[in-house]
Amino acid sequence: MSGLKRTHLYDYHRKHGKIVEYAGFEMPVWYEGIIPEHMAVREAVGVFDTTHMGRALIEGPEAVEFLDYVATNDMKGMEALQARYTVMCNERGGVVDDMVVYRLEGNRFLVVYNAVNREKDFNWLRRHSGGYDVRLRDVSDSVVMIAVQGPMAERALQKVSKDDLSQESVGRFRCLWTEVAGFRVLASRTGYTGEDGFELFLWDVPLEKPDKALRLWNAVLEAGREFGVKPCGLGARDTLRLEAGMCLYGNELTEDVNPLEAGLRFVVKLDKGEFIGREALLKIKSEGLKRRRVGLLMLDRGVPRKGYKVYKDGFEAGYVTSGTYSPLFRRGIAMAYLSREVKHGETVQVDVRGRLCRAEVTSYRFLRMREKQF
Amino acid sequence: MSEEYEVPEQLYYTKEHEWVSVSDNTATVGITDYAQKSLHEVVYVELPEVGRELTQGEVMGSVESVKAVSDIYAPVSGKVVEVNEKLLDEPETLNNDPYGEGWIAKIELTNFEEDKKKLMTAEQYRNLLKEL
Repeated sequence: MSGLKRTHLYDYHRKHGKIVEYAGFEMPVWYEGIIPEHMAVREAVGVFDTTHMGRALIEGPEAVEFLDYVATNDMKGMEALQARYTVMCNERGGVVDDMVVYRLEGNRFLVVYNAVNREKDFNWLRRHSGGYDVRLRDVSDSVVMIAVQGPMAERALQKVSKDDLSQESVGRFRCLWTEVAGFRVLASRTGYTGEDGFELFLWDVPLEKPDKALRLWNAVLEAGREFGVKPCGLGARDTLRLEAGMCLYGNELTEDVNPLEAGLRFVVKLDKGEFIGREALLKIKSEGLKRRRVGLLMLDRGVPRKGYKVYKDGFEAGYVTSGTYSPLFRRGIAMAYLSREVKHGETVQVDVRGRLCRAEVTSYRFLRMREKQF
Repeated sequence: MSEEYEVPEQLYYTKEHEWVSVSDNTATVGITDYAQKSLHEVVYVELPEVGRELTQGEVMGSVESVKAVSDIYAPVSGKVVEVNEKLLDEPETLNNDPYGEGWIAKIELTNFEEDKKKLMTAEQYRNLLKEL
């Protein structure tokens, strides 16, 4: 595969994983298998290379004002070393991308967005930064990003960090500068799996000299060994986020989908002041949503996939945005946009390659169906 | 990661990665080791109906893995006389034993002399795999 990019950790992926093309990168779809890797994250700890994602540094006296204008969520109220999930909208209220913003210091922010939008997002940010006293820097290729996710993630990382990684010290959506296995990293309690866990950012690692990244990666795997750690590929990344009801750009979110129908009302602060797309979203809100994101739990044997049509009583009710076989629930699950007339708890039919399979309309927060033990 | 694929000598193969074993006038069919390795974790198998008449090359079922679904094409023409129901409850059998316990269907042959022309020997199939 020529012309494709590789992350700093490619050497490991090449030796241990099955390489596929994703967002212009050669990435591992699995190492052992989607199901064992997925279950490792649900029950113990899994480690992901997420360096293929885009990362930009935004700093300057008007960094907050700038971000508050391009993002729908409130940026001004963020404390230092706090992270926030948000989307950026276009003038029509459609989603340009979803992303996580990390406030490193008062005027210094790290923004992490989807791999497939590396160029688009940086260009979008740059285009709209004109009127603000800010500097933008694309650090996608020099900041390595490793996700450590699962109920044992904290314990595994605690073995190789002298700082307190407990919930009290660094809670959900909070960050900490620390040393992991001797490497200075920014550790944030964020993730894309629905489990507790961290994302580690290792700075200033050139692609041509990736060994620091490989050593950190191997050190994390070593620390997790006693807990049953597994390296996890993009296959498990997708099944995990789907079970957790989290969006994937290109599936649930596109420039033709607004965050309100996507169920992301909580990251849209219509009262905070001016931001791109605000007027369009106010209008959409006042007119009422026609469709909304729901979960589908298959009742018949069959796996719903992206694009499959959904019917209710013979009428086309919507379409599947993402679907998979759920390793945890051992059946097909999906997210879909359905007409608001279809209610939770009702049964619909999904056209699975010519066969109508029944599914129950549920919340996309499938993990709530799990029995939690406290 | 370098891969070694099992290609039993006495079987016939298709370019869609199905295998055929012939005994008297009955063909047993399945998918190859390459196919099951590519698909990886099989979660559902759609089997053809017993009694169905198949034409070589038509879609006769499908194999669903976590990530994707793949059609199974009839490698020969004939009538389906038996299907491997074990695959409905234990789809992973296709991964564990694609040439043995993972057989998919038995077909009563109606046109084998013609069908054979479109099938590959083990050696031809191995060469195909080298190109992939």
